[in-house]
Amino acid sequence: MLKIITILLLTICFICGNAFSQDAENIIKYRKNIMKALGNHISIIASNLKGKVEINSDILPHSKALFITLASIDINKTFPEGTSNNSGLNTKSLPNIWQEKKLFEESMINSTQKAEDLVAAAENNDKKAIGKALGALGKTCGNCHNKFREKKN
Amino acid sequence: MATAIINLEKRKINFFKLKKLIILALVNYLLLFKLAYCNERGKILSHVAGCYGCHTLNNKIPFSGGYEIKTKYGTLISPNITFDKINGIGKWNIEDFSKAIKLGISPDKKPYYPALPYKWYSNLNKKDIADIYYYLKSLPTSSIKQKPHNLKFPYNIRNLLWIRRMVEDKIFSSKRIKIKEKVETEGAYIVRTLAHCGACHSPRTFLSIIDNINDLSGNPRSSNKFNDGAPNISNNFKNGIGSWDSYDLVFFLKNGFKPNGDYVEGHMSLIIENGTSFLSENELKSVSKYLLSEYNN
Repeated sequence: MLKIITILLLTICFICGNAFSQDAENIIKYRKNIMKALGNHISIIASNLKGKVEINSDILPHSKALFITLASIDINKTFPEGTSNNSGLNTKSLPNIWQEKKLFEESMINSTQKAEDLVAAAENNDKKAIGKALGALGKTCGNCHNKFREKKN
Repeated sequence: MATAIINLEKRKINFFKLKKLIILALVNYLLLFKLAYCNERGKILSHVAGCYGCHTLNNKIPFSGGYEIKTKYGTLISPNITFDKINGIGKWNIEDFSKAIKLGISPDKKPYYPALPYKWYSNLNKKDIADIYYYLKSLPTSSIKQKPHNLKFPYNIRNLLWIRRMVEDKIFSSKRIKIKEKVETEGAYIVRTLAHCGACHSPRTFLSIIDNINDLSGNPRSSNKFNDGAPNISNNFKNGIGSWDSYDLVFFLKNGFKPNGDYVEGHMSLIIENGTSFLSENELKSVSKYLLSEYNN
């Protein structure tokens, strides 16, 4: 009887563990997609600023999309506990995110505010101001990555 | 009649005085204009060459040193390079300054640690050195005293650097013949000399000596503890930046965004903020032209 209970318990633990790991993997993939989406919006705006393309009418909608995407990130759901690079999963998220959660949240708010400034600059259609606002947003992205993302190389 | 002659003489004198004054004003204006231009150029050069980035801890007192460079050999602390006579470089003349940055030797004949990229600066032209020197001289001084470096034994023995320099010179002279065609473009000068890109992006060998300063194929991190690695920036399509184009590079060196929209990480974000973003559009185009050329493979 004891044997059966032990096997049952182990099976439950395995299924639960596996389910958690699956969930964690999915959420990591999901947040990577959010980051990629942010990168894509920036890339589209940048292509116009670089002069690679001249579809300036795209700058405003992508600035707005960037702002909305950043503003709607639910940190608790997108960065749940146990999904750092210490978990053995394929992620660069450092444990600092959870250890210094307040700072992480502040960084995210800071980036969102800079994205709002970018929207304001895009509404005025002033490329110089857009470049400046994008640069300021970039610095906040960089600060957050430097502190909370595992370095490449 | 006599009064008329006197008036005429007076007018002549006034006219000459006025002419003199106009010439003086013009000369002054031109001198001031040249000084302002040199100062502005000196400011840009001091940023691109990394003087500001490495010698500034507090941006309210630029060039006063105190910036920590963490390496596997210990921590180096940058000195005060304002023109303070006691704690800065206020007693240096331009020859001392030139020798210090081109040869890595101080006016009192001490070797500098190679955190000062003198191997790259050795090709700096006289005018650029003078512009940086007079720009630094024009700035307010700071009396901040340099803290001692915190290096492990035996790296804390400064005189051992003479041995390292001998090894370095030997490696350099044996490799020099292998260096491909000499390129004398503005972009090559900025990459190879002024901005000393190879100081981070070239592979390092024994005693962290770089055997080919024109090889920009990257340098892996020495350990997880130090963020001292730098990626491959050769024009290799797969491993380097060969898939980037000139637009991407110019924008990256100005704003820090990679072509995929990701923002640069680590030290490079500071290099861009304090250094390459000071370059003009044309200079950045020259840099990207060189980096994407066959000379950087």
